[in-house]
Amino acid sequence: MTIEVLLFGPAARAAQADRLPVPIDGPQITCGDLRARLAKQAPDLARLLPASRFAVNHAFVEDSCIISPADEVALIGLVSGG
Amino acid sequence: MSIEVQIIDGPLAEQPRLPVIDGAGAILHFEGVVRPLEDGRQLAGLEYQAYEPMASRMLHTLAQAAIDEHGVLAVRVEHSRGWVPVGARSFRLIIASRHRKEGLAAMDAFIDRLKCDVPIWKSPVFAPDAEDGP
Repeated sequence: MTIEVLLFGPAARAAQADRLPVPIDGPQITCGDLRARLAKQAPDLARLLPASRFAVNHAFVEDSCIISPADEVALIGLVSGG
Repeated sequence: MSIEVQIIDGPLAEQPRLPVIDGAGAILHFEGVVRPLEDGRQLAGLEYQAYEPMASRMLHTLAQAAIDEHGVLAVRVEHSRGWVPVGARSFRLIIASRHRKEGLAAMDAFIDRLKCDVPIWKSPVFAPDAEDGP
């Protein structure tokens, strides 16, 4: 199973992609574990991850949040609107 | 109390539609304009990316917070996505309040939170003949 992580702005440029499929071992994973897997899978993203948050189904969540492939998951790095 | 949120493709209109709010003694109007220089280099403009519908929802949340925490009467916010050239408007915040002080405080808080929590990103596009920065 995979979780597809949406990327934007500097994160998308670092990964050279606007989404990354991340394989997971079971039907669910915490955002904290997803963060660790992203760092291994996409080393160019690693430096941006400490300052990034996850949004699940369009709301910010903590790393303890449990997600499944049915969720819309976005990595929200430092924003720059305004 | 009223809230209006819009994500608009391209630059914002130069003449905003100002709200008429019963009871308001102050209407504060802030606009963000694309600066001509970035790190000393000439810009052509900015390319804005918004993650929707989360961006609009977060802007609405910030507007509601301005009403709840500062007691303002109305909030209207517009933000661009896509291409905005130098000199054009990319962000507009209009707040109506009974008095100046709560309106100014609400505006400051709104913009601070916007720059932390609203999933919108801008990427500079430099002018073709821009010299390298310092």
